[in-house]
Amino acid sequence: MSRAEELSRRLREELGNLVLDLETGTPGRLFIDVSKEALGKVAASLKNQGARYQAAVAYDARKTGQGFGLIHTFAFDRDSLLVAVRTFAPEDDPEFESITPLIPGAGWSEREYIDLLGLKFKNHPEPRRLVLSDDWPEGIHPLRRDVPHDLMPPAAEEVAFRLEKAPAGTSIIPFGPFHASLHEPAHFSVYVDGEDIKGCEYRGFMTHRGIEKLAQTELTYNEVPFVAERICGICGSVHSVNYAQAVEAAAGLKIPRRAEFIRTVMLEIERLHSHLLWLGVAGHLIGFDTVFMQSWRIREKIMWLAEKITGNRKTYGMVIIGGVRRDIERQRASEIRVVLTEVEKEMLALEKAILKDKAIHKRTKGVGHLSKEAAVSWNLVGPVARARGLAIDVRKDHPYAAYDEVDFEVVTADSCDVWGTLVVRVKEVYEAIRIINQCLDKLGRLPEHEPLSLVLEGPVPSGRQGLSVVEAPRGEAVHYVLTGDDNRPERWRVRAPTYAHLQAVPDMLLNNKLADFPIIVGQIDPCISCTDRVLVIKLGQGRAELLQKQELERISRSRRKER
Amino acid sequence: MKVAAVFINLLYFLLLAPLLEGVMRKITARIQSRQGPPLYQPYLDLIKLLGKENLNAAGHRAFRLAPLLAFASILAVVALLPFGGGSNFLAHSSDLMTLIYFLTLSGFAVLLGALASGNPFASVGASREMMTIIMLEPVLAMTLILGAVRSGSFSLAEALGGVAAPGELSYFLMLAVFLVALQAFVSRQPFDIPEAEVEILEGPYMEYSGPDYALFRYALNIKRMFYGWLLAAGFLGSWLPGNLILSWLVQTILILLIFVAISVVGATHPRYRMDQALKYYAVLMILALIAVGFGVKGW
Repeated sequence: MSRAEELSRRLREELGNLVLDLETGTPGRLFIDVSKEALGKVAASLKNQGARYQAAVAYDARKTGQGFGLIHTFAFDRDSLLVAVRTFAPEDDPEFESITPLIPGAGWSEREYIDLLGLKFKNHPEPRRLVLSDDWPEGIHPLRRDVPHDLMPPAAEEVAFRLEKAPAGTSIIPFGPFHASLHEPAHFSVYVDGEDIKGCEYRGFMTHRGIEKLAQTELTYNEVPFVAERICGICGSVHSVNYAQAVEAAAGLKIPRRAEFIRTVMLEIERLHSHLLWLGVAGHLIGFDTVFMQSWRIREKIMWLAEKITGNRKTYGMVIIGGVRRDIERQRASEIRVVLTEVEKEMLALEKAILKDKAIHKRTKGVGHLSKEAAVSWNLVGPVARARGLAIDVRKDHPYAAYDEVDFEVVTADSCDVWGTLVVRVKEVYEAIRIINQCLDKLGRLPEHEPLSLVLEGPVPSGRQGLSVVEAPRGEAVHYVLTGDDNRPERWRVRAPTYAHLQAVPDMLLNNKLADFPIIVGQIDPCISCTDRVLVIKLGQGRAELLQKQELERISRSRRKER
Repeated sequence: MKVAAVFINLLYFLLLAPLLEGVMRKITARIQSRQGPPLYQPYLDLIKLLGKENLNAAGHRAFRLAPLLAFASILAVVALLPFGGGSNFLAHSSDLMTLIYFLTLSGFAVLLGALASGNPFASVGASREMMTIIMLEPVLAMTLILGAVRSGSFSLAEALGGVAAPGELSYFLMLAVFLVALQAFVSRQPFDIPEAEVEILEGPYMEYSGPDYALFRYALNIKRMFYGWLLAAGFLGSWLPGNLILSWLVQTILILLIFVAISVVGATHPRYRMDQALKYYAVLMILALIAVGFGVKGW
């Protein structure tokens, strides 16, 4: 009996007729509909059976008279099974039971929907504003269907996020939104006693772009991959592939094998790029700029390679629903191999210099420690989890694209600190090179000049759920798509790995030195743009700026009218 | 001649100090596979900064005073230095202690500016700077005091002669300590902790811009050159040729080479944490004390 069947039987036994529907059609996926009362019980039951929490998706289903839908997704990594538990609450009482007390990693997901959809969560420990900007008016929930995607409420003055007061005996050092060690806007209010970090508070979501809302109201299925790719400047391909896979899964499409291999190659090239980038940034964060410059010099070859294959150094634009847009011919394949050989050689030299450097050991070992148990309870993923002895990797656990056919090792470390992350990401560079070489071998054996994408026969049926995961360089990225009418998704939800990791950062920082703050936050390779994907407006502060901002707004509004 | 020596010293340091920063930037860039800015870039930087509007970001008088104090006191240090083996015009009213006093004063001026700025990053930088001064200044003081012990005089020229005289155990021990401490004296990686760009955004200098910042930079450059000079003209002084011009030339080349070495070390190390650096400084301080002890014993 497969895990999905066993699970279905068990849930039916435990909950009886509270389970409304079970859908096991797609291999590796289980979509469950339960009644609202059963949500907490299902979550507890799944957690007890060892499921890893991924994300929550909520959507406005008032159009069909179902009120508001809420989906929690879970992963059974050993059994290659993803579970999505859906429930509905009526329009006039959109309250769900909070699962945050049980699963702390669900805290942000639930807060997100308090802001965006006006849902309520019973027993949520911290139902504060998370996503919306501080001057966003109460009572307007931008993800609701009746709120237009371009709504722009007037900016309020003199509003600021109310940060907590520093605990007694500590003072606050503010990191961000503009700080040399944070490359994107996020604010950490760090409580320090001398140089010892005693806690911190996070305020992010300063640069939301309303991408999910845009996809649900303005774009069509095949336009979204290009917008999805622009969620992030580093793991763009991850998001476009992930979105395409979610739609393909929902529509029951099987894309050409050649396209799957090409997607795999692009994802791994992106991983090489990202790991080298991170390695450089990590060096910079501990004041070792030579590592920074050298690893970015190696990375430059990858950028050059990407440009050769796709026409772009980054943001490849390769993915569409049903396949890819460009082929990798034999000629290109041999060029890729040449570059990879060079990269591997130079990487070996750099690795030797880095991993043997005593001073780097001093700055990374024992720094940003978080135990394996804590990593499990915060649902950490990717290199951050693998550095804590958790051998989870979506590529192995839930194979997608062509990963079922390639051989590679899941690199782990057990030091539970920055050092472990460093080792994992350095070693994964070689695994990525191995994967690409295998893919190129296999591509060579597949027939050439075949179509690289499916021709869609008729519209994508509406009301279908698709759940896809991709191992981004930083960890698992989750995309959920609920198909809709008008040739566009009814709901599309993106959960980047940083969304899970950032919630664990306060625990990682605790009792470390202030000097280690940059590298501890850096070890999760925070991608704020991935995390902040949904917003609508940005808040300006300071008197001198204010005039300027109003001026800017006036100009942009008049432009909008002209159009 | 004795009066001229004061001005020659001042000019020598004022003109050469920015070049050393240029050397450091160039060498670092080459190690990092970069082209790097031209050697004269720091002069342009200083001229550019000096030509900018002076902002008093903190609105406090001490904030403006600090860079002037830092610059003036480091100029006082170099004005006192002996020239061509003999003491200069200022020697009759100054000695070893005056030099240590001015040198420490320039460090405290940085603290003053940082604390006056009221910036939280600057105050973290100030506390790091303070710890560094407390741990490192004694090492420098002991270098000079050993010279005084061995020459039996507090006069600068003679004490430096004492520093230079090789051949005894205390000389070699102190030379070793000084070489190891040099990287910290010039606050380059792994010891650029008080400024630490990615952590505390240049710490004490964070709120400074324009001419005030230029003065701090200039003072820092001169201070760095002073430490290089102390190694070249002090510890290695007895090997310099007798001819005044030639010895001055060799000494300048030596200083340049010292800064090449400093750049290489800086480019191949990450930054230490304060707690790690303090342990390191403590060992240096103890060794310096032992060296002075040897000096007293005449070893």
